Amino acid sequence: MEHYFDVLSVLILLSSFVLVSNKRIHAYIKTFRLQSALIALTAGVMGFEDVVNDGNYDVLVVCAIIIALKVILIPRLLHRTYGNIEYRVEKDFFFNIPILVIICCGLVVFSYFSVSNIGALSGLHINLQVVNSFSVVLIGFFFMISRKKALGQIIGYLVIENGIFVTAMFSTQGMPFIVDVGIFIDLITAVLIMGIMVIRINDQFESIDVNKLKNLKG
Amino acid sequence: MGLILWITPGIAVLLSRIVNNTKGLHAISVCASFVLLLTAGFATNRVILYDTLAYKLFGEAFFIDALSIIVLDIIILIGFLVAVYSVGYLNEECRHEKISQKKIKFYYSMMYVFMLSMIFAVTVKNIGIMWVAIEATTLASAFLVGFSNDKRALEAAWKYVIICSVGIATALVGIIFLHLASIDVVSSSNALQWDLLFDRAENLNSPVLRLSFIFILIGFGTKAGLAPMHTWLPDAHSQAPSPISALLSGVLLNSAMYAVLRILAIVNRNLGDSSFTGRLMIAFGLLSICAAAVFILTQRDYKRLLAYSSIEHMGIIALAFGLFTPLSIFAGLFHMINHSFTKSMLFLASGNLLQKYGTREISGIRGLLKTLPVSGTAFLLGLFAISGTPPFSIFASEVNVFLSLFYEKHYVLGGVFILLLAFIFGGIAVTLFRIFYGEPARGAAIGCGEINRPGAAVLAALLVIILATGLWMPDLLKGLITSAQMIMIGGLSI
Repeated sequence: MEHYFDVLSVLILLSSFVLVSNKRIHAYIKTFRLQSALIALTAGVMGFEDVVNDGNYDVLVVCAIIIALKVILIPRLLHRTYGNIEYRVEKDFFFNIPILVIICCGLVVFSYFSVSNIGALSGLHINLQVVNSFSVVLIGFFFMISRKKALGQIIGYLVIENGIFVTAMFSTQGMPFIVDVGIFIDLITAVLIMGIMVIRINDQFESIDVNKLKNLKG
Repeated sequence: MGLILWITPGIAVLLSRIVNNTKGLHAISVCASFVLLLTAGFATNRVILYDTLAYKLFGEAFFIDALSIIVLDIIILIGFLVAVYSVGYLNEECRHEKISQKKIKFYYSMMYVFMLSMIFAVTVKNIGIMWVAIEATTLASAFLVGFSNDKRALEAAWKYVIICSVGIATALVGIIFLHLASIDVVSSSNALQWDLLFDRAENLNSPVLRLSFIFILIGFGTKAGLAPMHTWLPDAHSQAPSPISALLSGVLLNSAMYAVLRILAIVNRNLGDSSFTGRLMIAFGLLSICAAAVFILTQRDYKRLLAYSSIEHMGIIALAFGLFTPLSIFAGLFHMINHSFTKSMLFLASGNLLQKYGTREISGIRGLLKTLPVSGTAFLLGLFAISGTPPFSIFASEVNVFLSLFYEKHYVLGGVFILLLAFIFGGIAVTLFRIFYGEPARGAAIGCGEINRPGAAVLAALLVIILATGLWMPDLLKGLITSAQMIMIGGLSI
C-alpha cells in the first residue's frame, strides 16, 4: 500500500509544478481541481483501508467532503468570480516560467533536507511522502508571491491548504475528524469572502492586480 | 450555564438578521453583550471557586480555567463597552448618511460572529478547534475591516485576510507537528486535547515539538501582530471603524497570544526549561518594540500610530512570556489586561475624533481639549497611560517586566528595553501632543461638545478602570492572575 501513497504523493507534487508553470487563471483553477482530485483519491484509499481494518468511516467522510468542496464547489466559485471580472490583462508573473520551476525544484531540495532531519519522521517511506507534501506547502507560498493577480493569491492559499492537509494525512493519518470538518468550514468561508473581495477590488481599482494596492504605507 | 457564552452571540446574530429597525438592533446588541457580561461574571466566580469550569457536553469541548478566564473576561468586558459605544457611533454615522440601516444590520451581525469566534477560541480545550476558531475570527472581521468599502478600506481588508489566513495556515502546520509529537502519548480519540498534552508533556517527542513551536509562534504571532509579520495590523486597525479597531486591538491580538501561551506552556514543560522558547519570544518581542518605535515617530495618521503602539505592547507581552519567570509571567498577564483596556479606550476616543474632525491626519486636528472635553481628556490621559506613565496600570506592569529582566541579570536587554520605551514615549509626545493645543481650524464648522454621549460614558468608565488598576490591584484579580501563572508554570521548577 505504501507504494501507492508514494506514487500519489509524487503526483500531487507534480501537479503543483504544473500549477506554477500555468499561464492563465482558468488553467490555475483546472490544475487546482486536478490536485484536489488526487488528494481526494489519497484520502479515499486511506479511508477504505481504515474501514477494512477498524471499521472507521471518518476518513471516507473527509474524502467525500474534499470531492464536494475542493473538486466541485470551490473551482466553480472561482470560475464564476473570474467571469465577473471585466478586465482581463493576462500576463501575471514576475519571472519567466522556467526560472519559477527551477526555484520550485530548489524548494523541494530544501524541504528534503529539512524534513529528513526530523527524527520522528525517519523511515524511508513516510519521509518521502512528507517531503513531497511539505514541498507542496512551500510551493504554495512561493506561488502566492510570484503572481500579481488577487485570484492567483487565492489559488496559492488553497494550494497551501492542500499541502497542509496532505502533510497531516501522511505524517499523522489525518487530524481528528472534528478538526478536519472545522478546517473545511473555514476554507469554504475564506474562499467565499476572498471571492467577494476580489470582485469589490475589481470594481474599485478596475483591476485585480495586487500591485495596485499601494495606498497604505508606513 | 457556561454554554450561554456560546449561545448568546449566536442568538444576537440571528435576531439582528431579523429585526428591521435601528433602535431594535441597538437594543439587541446591548442586551446580548450584557447577558454575556453576567455569564462571564458567573464563570469567573466558578473558576475562582473550583479552578475550572467544564462540561461533559460535546465530547468535553467546553473548558475554562484561570488562564482562559482572564482573556475571556477581557473579550466580554470590552465587547460590552464597544457595544454601548457603537450605539452612539453608528447613530452619528447614520445622521451623516454615511451608512444605511442595512449596513447597521450587517455591522451588528458580523460583530457578534466575531465575538462568538473569539469566545469560542478561548473556551475550547482542543487545540485544533482553537485554530479553527482563530481562523474564523479573521474571516468574521474581514468585512468589518472593509466596512466603509472605499479603496483604502478594501486594500486593508484584502491584506488582512490574505496575510492572516496564510499566517494562520503556518500555525496549522505547527499543530500538525504537535499532533505528530504526541501521537504515541495521547490516544487518537483525545488527540490535541490541551489538558492531556500538558499532563503528559514530558513524554512528547522534543525535536518535533520544537519544530512545531516555531511554526505556531510564526503563525499565531502573525495574528498577534509581532514584527516582522505585523504588516497587516496598521492597515486593518486604521481603516476599520473605530469600535472595531478597539475590538481588534484590545481583544483579537490577545486571543492569538493566548493560543501561543497554551502551546508555550506545553513546550516549556516538555523541554524542562525556557531557553529555547525564550530566545524566540524575546527576539520577536524586541523586534516588535523596535519596529514600533521607529514607525511611531514617522506617523501622520493617529489611528495608525495607535496601531503601531499595539505592536509595541504585543512585543512587550511576548518578551515577558519569553523570560518565563513567575514574575514575568505575572507581568505579562497583567500587561495583557492593561493594554486591552487602555488601547481600546484610545481607539474609541479616536473614533470620536474622527467623527468630529473627519480626518485621520494628525495635522488636521487642533484644540482637541476645547472641542471634545471628555474624549480629548481621555485621549490625552490614555496617551500618557499607553506610553507607561504612572499612575496608570500599564506603568505597573511595565515596571514588573523590566524588574524581572533585571532579576534574571539580563542587564543589556533591560537597558535596551527601557531605552526603547523612552524612545516611544518621545515619539508619541512629538507626533501627537500637538493636537491638544491651539485653536480649532477656522472656517471648518467644528462645534464644541461631545457627539457620542454613550461613547463618552464608556470612555469615562475605561479611564476609571485603568486608573484604578494602576493604583490598587483587587485581590480577586491578583488571585486569578496568580492561578493562571501557576497553570503556565505547571510544576516546572524555575
